[in-house]
Amino acid sequence: MNILTVRDLCAGYGATDVLHKVSFTVEQGSIVALLGANGAGKTTILRALSGLLPSRGLVEFGGTDLRQCSPARRVELGLAQIPQGRGTFGDFTVEENLAIGAYTINSKRQIKEDMERWYTAFPRLAERRRQQSGNLSGGEQQMLALARALMSRPKLLMCDEPSLGLAPAITEQIFEIFKSLNHDHGMTLLVVEQNADLTLQFAHTAYVLEAGDITVSGPASDLLRNEAVQQSYLGV
Amino acid sequence: MNGTRLFQSAPAALVTAVALCLPFLAPDFMLFEFSIAVCYGIAILGLNLLLGFSGQICLAQGALFGIGAYATAILNVNFGMDPIATLPFAAIITSLIGVLIGLPALRLQGLQLAIVTFGVASAFPQLLLKMDWITGGVTGLATDQPLAPKWFPGSQELWLYGLSLICAAISVFMLRRLLRGDTGRLMRALRDNPLIAESLGVNLTKARLAAFAASSALAGLGGGLFCILNGFISPQSFLPMKSIDILIGGIVGGITSMAGAFIGAVFIVFVPGWTTDINPALGGLIYGLCLIAMMMVARQGIAGLPIGRSLQALGGIFNKKDLSRVPGPLPGQLGGE
Amino acid sequence: MVLFFQLLIDGLASGAIYASLALALVLIFRATRIVNFGQGEMATLSAYCAWQLCEWGLPVALSFLIVGAASFLLGVFVFRAVIKPVSKAPVETIVVITLGLFVFFQSLCLWLWRADQRAFPAMFPSGGWDILGVRVTASALCILLVLLCLAATMGAIFRFTRLGLAMRASAYSSEKSLLVGIRVERMLMLGWGFAATIGFIAAVLVGPRLFLSPTMMLPILLYALASATLGGWDSPLGALVGGLIVGVAESLGATFLPFIGADLRVVIPIAVTLVILLVRPVGLFGSSTVVKV
Ligand SMILES: Nc1ncnc2c1ncn2[C@@H]1O[C@H](COP(=O)(O)OP(=O)(O)OP(=O)(O)O)[C@@H](O)[C@H]1O
Ligand SMILES: [Mg+2]
Repeated sequence: MNILTVRDLCAGYGATDVLHKVSFTVEQGSIVALLGANGAGKTTILRALSGLLPSRGLVEFGGTDLRQCSPARRVELGLAQIPQGRGTFGDFTVEENLAIGAYTINSKRQIKEDMERWYTAFPRLAERRRQQSGNLSGGEQQMLALARALMSRPKLLMCDEPSLGLAPAITEQIFEIFKSLNHDHGMTLLVVEQNADLTLQFAHTAYVLEAGDITVSGPASDLLRNEAVQQSYLGV
Repeated sequence: MNGTRLFQSAPAALVTAVALCLPFLAPDFMLFEFSIAVCYGIAILGLNLLLGFSGQICLAQGALFGIGAYATAILNVNFGMDPIATLPFAAIITSLIGVLIGLPALRLQGLQLAIVTFGVASAFPQLLLKMDWITGGVTGLATDQPLAPKWFPGSQELWLYGLSLICAAISVFMLRRLLRGDTGRLMRALRDNPLIAESLGVNLTKARLAAFAASSALAGLGGGLFCILNGFISPQSFLPMKSIDILIGGIVGGITSMAGAFIGAVFIVFVPGWTTDINPALGGLIYGLCLIAMMMVARQGIAGLPIGRSLQALGGIFNKKDLSRVPGPLPGQLGGE
Repeated sequence: MVLFFQLLIDGLASGAIYASLALALVLIFRATRIVNFGQGEMATLSAYCAWQLCEWGLPVALSFLIVGAASFLLGVFVFRAVIKPVSKAPVETIVVITLGLFVFFQSLCLWLWRADQRAFPAMFPSGGWDILGVRVTASALCILLVLLCLAATMGAIFRFTRLGLAMRASAYSSEKSLLVGIRVERMLMLGWGFAATIGFIAAVLVGPRLFLSPTMMLPILLYALASATLGGWDSPLGALVGGLIVGVAESLGATFLPFIGADLRVVIPIAVTLVILLVRPVGLFGSSTVVKV
């Protein structure tokens, strides 16, 4: 079953469209990778899906047509995004970041539980709970951004270049977390990445975006072997 | 946009044409009001230089305007100079004081500068009262009016109007030279991105002070002219609201347009009067609404309205020479790589 | 020395008034990066309404409550009708619009209530205490108390409540806030509403000291602008401290600096602000994120 269906999505900035009728689906419980060169429009897709950009075309999420939904409503429905770059609120403490991540959750108990859970998963954040998040290192911030997004208990988590500016070891760690989220909690993930090699090893399905068009799609293992993809993105 | 090219645009042509036709259309008392508008226009030009071309908000323009006016009056009353001959001095004196005000601007950022300079504007009338041994205090100063020479065929108002236009023309001319030259380039770099400009070796201090000096000189010239036109000045003419009015005029006209400066000046001179004519009690109310509605429609100022732009396009048709100088792809190349 | 402490107390009391209007300005600035030049005049309108309700025979407390709520709605309305449509316009445009609000509300008061001054109902007990020769009036104390309560309430809301957290988040980054499910526009609207109510409180504090008149908030606006600037535009704490500094400096300077005296006292807040900005360009408690207007 598809949790997300995107058909003929067009979006852009001002008069010119960046996306030209993009269509793809994300299956419930899978990890989907979205690859593409700089400026291909990956971030634009995620922004359109979160409702930050006006768009045309069909976007269906868990059976709901998202076109009438405000960005806030989309979060309530279970769509979370970790934006590209620093996804944290720099002048908030770590704890406040997590609290604001749970803005759509009404149960105090659940918020508390989740916080403890992610503190256990990310001990570095627990040590720094009263510290301003702007002073965390890049990797810690990325973890915080991830934990913050998870606080809203998303059904589909979209990550925009989680590996940006991180050491390979930390990147790997983050991908391991993705894997366990997917495997243990059945969370669906849509991951935008430059690091195609690593991403394709973790993902089930992958799409390649070129200049606002999906040009290649299929199971991740196929893409790993696809010559065109290898040449452009894997540097083989 | 480039300052020099802006001047050649259609709003400029329109404003010039209207200004030259006015003597044949408007009665004398209106001509007087237009002369007043011209001297505000000169001060607004100065403000635009700061705001539009170097990105600094100065809310002391009304005070500088006042300094120019008092310079003219004092030179005339105490030293017996011919009023018209005092104008260059008014500009220079104001320019020096403007640089003094500009010194802190070297470290202040937009909003802070605006508020500090507004403080200067608020203190100015009080300062005038305090220095009554030279400013005449509340009673103000009365100056000689330059009478029209015998050979001049028109009325006294027309003579003063002509004088104002000449001052305006000189101001525009000087400003264009400034913007075209190195200093102008510095100032534009400063507005677009101070950090990058500085890292490229632009001397920020010099550019900012130059902008302040030129802007204040224009305010002083406008003020001096204002004094001559009125023949009398007092602290009452330079309340802090004057600085706000000048700012409003600048923005309403469009801050990167020289023609806009004069359009804005006409706006602040006439519109409050009209709204009071519509209904004396509700004048201010209508003026406030006018301002709000105006800016909601014309976000870039009047000179930036589509009408202005389409006129500009029309101007392009008649001015082929200009077209060929516009950088960018030729029509045949549009879209091709 | 007695004179010094007397002036200090007086200065703190007026400073509290500047601080409360500065709080309103900072609240709006944090949320929308706009300086609302009309804030003081909106407060004047509220004060007049409160006065009118009292004139009509309503109890003072009740009419203040009603007007406090109405001010909130006024702020919300101004945001929706005027500010939201131009939220993407250049700053200069917005500056003129808020100046338009200034003109509009001032003329509205002038039209509805004419220029004559009216006596505002006294709210604070009269009387006071002499402590070692320094006269501490009850009203000065009450003004300070009101300010402290206001500041404490605001601080608590921003730090401990979901609503406050969401408002801070919206002020920090609207995009990231949307991504966690905050209805940012609603938060900005609330910000304008709260600011209008706080402005009303400022006007209520001024009312009994001056008389009501359509231009009564104009000097206060200037001092509040200076307070917010020297405190740092994005810091409520800065507005608070800035207001008190400006009030004290004004009161002391006007007496102890002979060449300034009472006529030139308006110079003092500006001079103090300038000095502080030269030392600390972002203001006392500002963060460096404030770039341009
Ligand atoms: N705010 C914006 N305004 C105008 N154009 C934009 C804006 N953001 C992005 N673009 C343009 O849209 C196109 C796609 O940008 P997008 O950010 O979606 O690329 P991307 O695939 O995420 O690239 P990267 O891998 O570098 O993050 C680019 O050509 C970019 O220049
Ligand atoms: Mg991107």
